[in-house]
Amino acid sequence: MTDTGIDVTMDFHPQPRAGTAKPWAFPAPERTTLDNGLTVLRCDRPGQQVVAVEINLEAPLEAEPQAIEGVATIMARAFSEGTDKHSAEEFAAELERCGATFDANAGHPGVRLSLEVPVSRLAKALGLVADALRAPAFADSEVKRLVRNRLDEIPHELANPARRAAVQLFKELFPADSRMSRPRQGSEESVERIDAAAVRAFYDAHVRPVATTAVVVGDLSGTDLDAILADTLGRWTGSGAESRPVPPVSADDTGRVVIVDRPGAVQTQLLIGRVGPDRHDRVWPAQVLGSYCLGGTLTSRLDRVLREEKGYTYGVRSSAQVLRSAPDGTGVSLIAIQGSVDTESTGPALEDLWTVLRTLSAEGLTDAERDVAVQNLVGVAPLRYETAAAVADTLADQVEQHLPDDFQAQLYRRLAETGTVEATAAAVSAYPVDRLVTVLVGDAAQIAEPVKALGIGEVSVVTG
Amino acid sequence: MGHTATAQAGSGGLTATEHRLANGLRVVLSEDHLTPVAAVCLWYDVGSRHEVKGRTGLAHLFEHLMFQGSKQVQGNGHFELVQGAGGSLNGTTSFERTNYFETMPAHQLELALWLEADRMGSLLAALDEESMENQRDVVKNERRQRYDNVPYGTAFEKLTALSYPEGHPYHHTPIGSMADLDAATLEDARTFFRTYYAPNNAVLSVVGDIDPEQTLAWIEKYFGSIPQHDGKQPPRDGTLPDVHGAEHREVVEEEVPARALMAAYRLPADGTRACDAADLALTVLGGGESSRLYNRLVRRDRTAVAAGFGLLRLAGAPSLGWLDVKTSGDVEVPVIEAAVDEELARFAEEGPTDEEMERAQAQLEREWLDRLGTVAGRADELCRYAVLFGDPQLALTAVGRVLEVTADEVREIAAARLRPDNRAVLVYEPVAADDTGDEAADAAEGDAQEDEAGK
Repeated sequence: MTDTGIDVTMDFHPQPRAGTAKPWAFPAPERTTLDNGLTVLRCDRPGQQVVAVEINLEAPLEAEPQAIEGVATIMARAFSEGTDKHSAEEFAAELERCGATFDANAGHPGVRLSLEVPVSRLAKALGLVADALRAPAFADSEVKRLVRNRLDEIPHELANPARRAAVQLFKELFPADSRMSRPRQGSEESVERIDAAAVRAFYDAHVRPVATTAVVVGDLSGTDLDAILADTLGRWTGSGAESRPVPPVSADDTGRVVIVDRPGAVQTQLLIGRVGPDRHDRVWPAQVLGSYCLGGTLTSRLDRVLREEKGYTYGVRSSAQVLRSAPDGTGVSLIAIQGSVDTESTGPALEDLWTVLRTLSAEGLTDAERDVAVQNLVGVAPLRYETAAAVADTLADQVEQHLPDDFQAQLYRRLAETGTVEATAAAVSAYPVDRLVTVLVGDAAQIAEPVKALGIGEVSVVTG
Repeated sequence: MGHTATAQAGSGGLTATEHRLANGLRVVLSEDHLTPVAAVCLWYDVGSRHEVKGRTGLAHLFEHLMFQGSKQVQGNGHFELVQGAGGSLNGTTSFERTNYFETMPAHQLELALWLEADRMGSLLAALDEESMENQRDVVKNERRQRYDNVPYGTAFEKLTALSYPEGHPYHHTPIGSMADLDAATLEDARTFFRTYYAPNNAVLSVVGDIDPEQTLAWIEKYFGSIPQHDGKQPPRDGTLPDVHGAEHREVVEEEVPARALMAAYRLPADGTRACDAADLALTVLGGGESSRLYNRLVRRDRTAVAAGFGLLRLAGAPSLGWLDVKTSGDVEVPVIEAAVDEELARFAEEGPTDEEMERAQAQLEREWLDRLGTVAGRADELCRYAVLFGDPQLALTAVGRVLEVTADEVREIAAARLRPDNRAVLVYEPVAADDTGDEAADAAEGDAQEDEAGK
């Protein structure tokens, strides 16, 4: 603020005031059940010509036999590799002919299929996806290829510092007998053992209409969705299913540091985490606010110091990601701080990061911080949910997490009602300075000593 | 000819009006009252192609400085005020332009306009050494994070350098070199602002739940008194012959997880029918999981873990058709290369089938629906066509032009351009861990901040 205005010749006006806010609410879906027991949530979003369909299959990762972990992932991918009507190549071609995109992923709560397609071709694309669920080919040769492909991907993932850090953190946090301690898409050893028979067996045991929910969002005004559903997903038949109990999750968050050695790395990838409550917990809105104030954006406490004052990083973020929820509220999320810093700043950056956490604990959040967080988190809702895909994704998350269909709508009200004291308490309890597991992917020879000197826990080094 | 997903594909019902202030600022407005949000997008006609030798990365570093305050906005106030109003924002820098954008709840639109005007008119009142030094470090860490510390991360930079000759304005990428980032001075930044950040070198678009008359009045109020200036020199000419004439090749021995074959083919500039034809050719050959290369390399030969083509559209120089194949297991690159060349030659001979044309057009059409389906996406496209091609209306009819391209045109462009003697090639051969760096893809832009973490 030194220049005297030589370059400034414009007319200045005071900062304008906001106009009157227009009402907006997170859309309420309509919930129905098809004759085969499949649950449908639908939501009309005028103007959204690309319809999003999210399909949840209650086939959780802990249902995988340990010897063949990754089988849920291979099954998910094999859904696009042919049916009783089309070969693998034909299936992909027919979907793309609709202008559709189709993805399938296996996560801890289950398998998720995501279809996006212009509304005029919804019937055809959903028909293909329904065929995949009803009568997947799971041909030997295609499964063999998917297994080979998955094995080829593993080294690429491990070479990526952020992915490598995540693998290590899960291994550290969860006991060896927990599915969560091991890679979501399987290890080299377990993936190698997967064949078409194993995929078929997993499908037969866990995939059926009564354990499936489809969320359909978009401009549905000119579409007879009931007729389309009856003709596609409605034709799938299957037996009843017993609900699997959700196993309890324990985690060891004893404060410690694990360095994954990367000689010569120019940056250190940081991933600092522990487990915390999921969305069922009353503290969730307060924790969302607290986490935003700590590391939600460039002007939050962490980046204010680490980026905008010190220049150690392009950005550090804190977040909570739900791993698995249960109807009784015993689920967990991963609470984490992540980012990367240049190698030589690793020690100083971690020292500053811990100072930020200690200051938060000692002094709490300010009312101004809390207010800005609420204004942002509530205010961005209409733009965050502009597309059909964003709405469908959140609705499907709610289903997967056993939450009521109006959870997100209510969350905005609860955020607005949450005060500074509650937000502080939630943030402090989410990030206790002595109960954080720190994974650093970086050059151990350069960073181990400075990190040991910080006293944030025992430091160990692993390779690979 | 492909069928269309909607009555007026992409442009269905969308309109835009154009205005120009006395100081030369071009304005594009587009109403859409479906959701109470409004997008503001400001394109400055300056990118890395305007940079000079020894100062690569300056346009992008400067973009960061635009978030460090101006006369009436303290420090990080730009971020704080927009986010505090329930908005989201960022800025990005590419070869050909720098853009800044805010998406706001509709009742907060005026704030975004006030903020953009304040920094367009008075950035230098706040710009100081402290911000310069800080953001220099931030950008260097951005470079490390996105390029230097990830496997294959510098591939984009290397292929770009092979594709455009030394001294060509597109020879270097927007992130710039570490040495040049170190060398940039506060005076360089001031000169850059005085040269390029003028209302007559920008296009402002506002899209969404707006009252056009009121919006235009606000724009006049806040931007109208910012003086125009004419110090800008046109960028160096990016024109090159249609084809390379001979292949350029580099072998990189680095600590990467697998062998890779990457290539950049020289293609027609954006804004031409031939570029749209090339887009369709690349989609048939390497877009999605029913493409010819995916079917050949991943499904049938099983020699690759991933194989695809992308198009980097450029208006001021030849576009690039981007091939990326990661090998499976122990497969050697020449095996992949022979298969790719065979498929491209066959395609140049046969052209696309009717069904392939239909699929490719349906894919590109959906991509357009996605891009125009949000107010922010629409605002960005309106600016793009206004800045690069002089007519924002072209954004609303772009998808129609893609659907008009014929199979013959697609075959012709493939035959003329997708040839071994018209490409730069990068081959990766893994070496054991020592002191080399690693990295990723998608590198044509730098952002002011990472995406906000979702909750």
